[in-house]
Formats: sequence, C-alpha cells, structure tokens
Amino acid sequence: MEEYQTGDEVAFVVDEVNSIIKESVEGAIGGSTYQHSRVNQWTNSIVEQCLGQLSKLDKPFKYIVTCIIMQKNGAGLQTASSCFWDNATDGNLTNSVADVMKTYNFALFSCLKM
Amino acid sequence: MASTETNASCYLIRPNYQHKFKSSLVKECIREILREHLTGLQYEPEQIPALSRTLADCIKDRLKGVELERYKLVVQVVIGEQRGEGLKMAARCFWDSDTDSYARTFHECVYDFISF
Repeated sequence: MEEYQTGDEVAFVVDEVNSIIKESVEGAIGGSTYQHSRVNQWTNSIVEQCLGQLSKLDKPFKYIVTCIIMQKNGAGLQTASSCFWDNATDGNLTNSVADVMKTYNFALFSCLKM
Repeated sequence: MASTETNASCYLIRPNYQHKFKSSLVKECIREILREHLTGLQYEPEQIPALSRTLADCIKDRLKGVELERYKLVVQVVIGEQRGEGLKMAARCFWDSDTDSYARTFHECVYDFISF
C-alpha cells in the first residue's frame, strides 16, 4: 500500500514561512509611522494575509498566527510560549521586527493535522 | 473470529461532547494561576523573562491535568509594561472549529498588563 504522504510534503519549511511573514508585513504596512487609529486594521490584515498564504501551501497543518504591534516609548514587552505537542511533526516560528516608531512580534505555531 | 478489542482512540477522530475543549473551564484555570503568581507584583525587567516562562509552563502543566484527551496545547503569555504606549495584538487560527478552540485572559496591574 502506498504511503499517503511522503516526508517532504509534511515538513515545516522555516524559510518559506519566514518569507510569507515578511511579505505580509511589508504588504500591509510598508514604512508607515505608528498611527493608533490604523493599528487595528494593520494587525488584522497582516494576520489574515499570513494565514491565507499558509493555507495555500496546502500542507496538512493547523496554524495559529499571532501578531503584536507596539509603539516604541521605552516600555518593555516580553512574550513566552509553552506547547504540549509532538516535537517530531509540530513546530513554531517567532520573529521580531523593529523600526523607529514601532515593534512587531510574530508567533506562528503549526500542528500536524491528525 | 478476530478479537475486536482495540484501543478505542484509534477509531475516534472527533472528541465526544464531554471531552471537547471547554473555554470557560480553561479560562478559570488560567485566572487562578494568575491570582497565585501575580498579586502585588511589580514590573522588573530582570525578572520578567523568567516569570513569563514560568507562567506559560505552569498553565500548560495545569491544563495537562484537566481532562483534555488527545488535545495538543499552545500557551502564549505576553507581559508588557504600562507606560502609555499603544499596543495591538491580533491572532488568527486555521483549524477545525468543531473540535478546536481557545481561551483568553487579560490581567492588568498598575505597572503592567498580562495577556494569555
């Protein structure tokens, strides 16, 4: 009986996902300054675009994408995550980008669909 | 005739109603842990990394004790200092909405805010 999926199709490719995230951020925000009235729209569009691209990869994964946009004014921000899953198949990716006025934090968690 | 006694979980692809993820229960669990760890605490930059990791691990371990059979768990903790900055957090999930769900809590102190 043939294997339903080979190992390659099921792997979580970090570079591919990283580039998807970068494109989503640049597409949604570009180089704009922090505007409180638009932050809502920005976070939503980044996250939706990311998820849309990830689902197009057509891999048997469930995804959770979070994005934090914070205005830079000297305050500290710490994020931590703890996961109970299968280390062989599941993975996460976090990314942090900072510019003059704001900081973006991304976390992407992916779990193999059972 | 072959024995039909096999592990029941091999045939269950969806949880029963009693075993589904219950947001309110999990939310209460998280609130309790917050109350235990955070009453009277102030924001101190050296201690916050360890605190956030401890909280995430604590919540994950407590949830493993609750009856969530065969569920994978992802716990995310965000701790920030309140200095009047603007902040927005968004999340989206690509999952099976029939079986999967989330619980979210927000805890605010004078000096910091904590989001789960």
